Amino acid sequence: MAVVKNLLGKSGPKIVILVTSIFFLLPLLAMTRFAFQNIGVFDLSWSKAFDKWTFGIVTKPFEDQYFTDSLYLSFKIAIGTAALTLGLLIPTAIWVHLRVPKARVLVEFMTVLPYVIPAIALVAGIVVIKPHARWFLNSDLSLIPFYTVLALPFTYRAIDSGLRAIELRTLVDASRNLGAGWMRTMSKVIVPNLRSAIISATFLTVAVALGEFTIANVLLKQTFPPFINEYRMREPRAGYALAVLSLLFTIFIFGLLSVALRSPSTKSHQNSPKSRELS
Amino acid sequence: MAWIGLVPFFAFLTLFLFIPAFSVFSQAVRGADGKFTLGPLRKGISGQNLEAFKFSIKFSAGAAFVGVLFGTLLAYAAVITKRPKWLRSLIASFSGVAANMGGLTLAFAFVSLLGRQGVLTKILAALGWDLYSGNFGLGEIPGLITVYSYFNIPLMVLVTIPAIDGLRSSWREACANLGGTTWTYWRRIGLPVLAPSIMGGFLLLFTNSFSAFATARVLTDNSKIVPLRIGFFLGGDLSVGEDSIGYSLAAWMIIVMAVCMWLYWILRRRAEKWQS
Amino acid sequence: MTSISFRGIRKTFGSTVALEALDLELQPGELVSLLGPSGCGKTTALRIAAGFEIPDNGIVSLGDNDITRTSAHRRNMGMVFQSYSLFPNLTVAQNVEFGLRNRKVEKVKRNSRVGEMLELVQLSDLGKRYPHQLSGGQQQRVALARALAVQPEVLLLDEPLSALDAKVRATLRDEIRRIQTELKTTTLFVTHDQDEALAISDRIGVMSNGRLEQLGTPEDVYLRPASPFVARFVGSINELPNVNGSGQILVRPEDVTISVDENELTMRGTVTRVTFQGPVKIISVRVDVVDQLINVHAASGSVHTEVGDRVSVAVAPGRGIIEAA
Repeated sequence: MAVVKNLLGKSGPKIVILVTSIFFLLPLLAMTRFAFQNIGVFDLSWSKAFDKWTFGIVTKPFEDQYFTDSLYLSFKIAIGTAALTLGLLIPTAIWVHLRVPKARVLVEFMTVLPYVIPAIALVAGIVVIKPHARWFLNSDLSLIPFYTVLALPFTYRAIDSGLRAIELRTLVDASRNLGAGWMRTMSKVIVPNLRSAIISATFLTVAVALGEFTIANVLLKQTFPPFINEYRMREPRAGYALAVLSLLFTIFIFGLLSVALRSPSTKSHQNSPKSRELS
Repeated sequence: MAWIGLVPFFAFLTLFLFIPAFSVFSQAVRGADGKFTLGPLRKGISGQNLEAFKFSIKFSAGAAFVGVLFGTLLAYAAVITKRPKWLRSLIASFSGVAANMGGLTLAFAFVSLLGRQGVLTKILAALGWDLYSGNFGLGEIPGLITVYSYFNIPLMVLVTIPAIDGLRSSWREACANLGGTTWTYWRRIGLPVLAPSIMGGFLLLFTNSFSAFATARVLTDNSKIVPLRIGFFLGGDLSVGEDSIGYSLAAWMIIVMAVCMWLYWILRRRAEKWQS
Repeated sequence: MTSISFRGIRKTFGSTVALEALDLELQPGELVSLLGPSGCGKTTALRIAAGFEIPDNGIVSLGDNDITRTSAHRRNMGMVFQSYSLFPNLTVAQNVEFGLRNRKVEKVKRNSRVGEMLELVQLSDLGKRYPHQLSGGQQQRVALARALAVQPEVLLLDEPLSALDAKVRATLRDEIRRIQTELKTTTLFVTHDQDEALAISDRIGVMSNGRLEQLGTPEDVYLRPASPFVARFVGSINELPNVNGSGQILVRPEDVTISVDENELTMRGTVTRVTFQGPVKIISVRVDVVDQLINVHAASGSVHTEVGDRVSVAVAPGRGIIEAA
């Protein structure tokens, strides 16, 4: 819109973006500095700003016996959570779309409930049940269903959006009409068209599973976040270095996600300036 | 009878969400003798516990307010800045990362920035401002608001960008065509249409801040933060009957969350009606 | 009732030339349509009139006043957009009175004017509804009422019927024309649909690639197209070799004569299909000399031919437009 003014004035938006960028970068820089610069804050001065940066610190965690174990456990749990999420939600969402549309509001409501029972309250409830379900809760992998619950609001929305974007009813009818059974329809028709929704949902679950601290901490499970927390009290710089690395890992995965989700078809937006300029 | 296909989903939720939640409430109304009593629930919001709720509500509201303010401004700036073209994607992506970053990493980052040994603390001290001379602490209200803004602002951006996108340019143009200025537009159309989304965003940020455990745990021992308080009761070595207080705190927390989400639900329905 | 004119209007977007040098004047009270395909510049011209774009060169005048650089909210024009332009958070009545409120009209006068307008578009009972509760056709009626409430000097319509169902389109199209003639509002109507333009306009401006190809009455534009583009865009056209010269001749199906006889002025061909359409039938003929299919309209009762018959076709005298090779 050429001639209609925006609310913040000409340079307003740029200032807002600049100021918030600084706010968001500072803590990350501070954390990186603490991890990789071998100078305590007391001794720090402007002249020494670029001294004693070593990245060798990243090898230190490997000396700790719990490092690889906890990381490995967290990855196992992440994969299990992703699998459970997809295995539970995709059929459920499809069922709602195709067979019981009336249940839609109820199901959506239920997927919002985990917001009402945040992690700390959920784990309080788990502690109550613990004596009755020791056989289950003793396993580290018992975190999987609970992490699935935590991620539910986001993952269900991702999958539901994905289903809404494709003409599910029509595709399924066409597929069955051409002789495909349910298994084949699911695997060859529905799931491939849900690619981006599945990728988003997986990313969300993995992020939740790898970063979840509350439940793991209270239930005394040795996953990666409790490990980092405890480790940084023993080896501050190495612990922070791990935090920086896990952040970089998150960014990397997010980057992969963005590339994988870039769809070949471009949706033309009704209000985009370009489409109006040319008519 | 087609509902039978939803049984796995309902069963799953029952086992892993409803039963734990119900257990919280059942323990919260159990006295030392194991019999039903409202005692623990009453204690859960009196005295120190009441102080804790007040404190938590205060800082959560503050953090939500800051998050809404800056999140909305940033979302608006992102949508309105057409050049460079990649700027908006970058902001949205960064918001996605920051909102999913994990409470631990965030806490570490702020400790190294603004903790007693933090880099910025030292810089400010060198400039003459001793940050810790007064009441400041990362576990006190100003500190908590600062830290929590780090994930509240991106969350607000993610929720608000679609809402701002939903403001059609034809409304803006129609308003101008009918003699309205920029101010008229925002006052009579723009902000009213955005209002449900913004208020919904506030509730989202509020519940997010109120229930955060990991970040708070690393930052402080402050037992006035309700989730931490619950954690202490759960992990502590307590006599029988006292642990009911912990559960009653959790129960009250669930009630607060439920009220907020109910309001959020109503607002979202309203916002969706207008976006069609 | 005011006139509006474009003189030498030029507008580019980056490297694209949306309008080359537009000269157009609307007489007070007339309805002029800008007709053309996407990208021809018609919407750009409209938006320049509304004040949403500023031309690179040229002058836009309202009556005697140069309004080229006046900001949009100070031009006294009413605009109806293609769709979804009603304010969702206001009722129908509040939408219609919006312009009046901006002009600080008192409540009593506003209410009566809103009532008038809703009656004009035949939606008197819907004042308290919200836009999302209305159908597409109803929404556009409200948009029209809203635009007219302030008694604008010029009414601008940006493809107001494109997003509607065919049936609603026809009814609303006639409504718009009826109201426009009743109120005598100078109106600029943009559309890509030639039936619409032909049905309601006093004059039509056919545009292509930023240029005005022809400006004339519907009859002019249809019966006497000024260029091959206009001939092709408005109504259907056949292409036949120009037997009297070079290039081809563009001729309308109803301007082609068909008979069984043969003489040196006609072309021979074979009937490939006959489609009965009630009052008229369409005879498709494959012409020998260029192996091309043409369509001929003939009154149902005349010319009895069947698929496979040999016939002669010719351009009716004085009809058709020549397109250079």
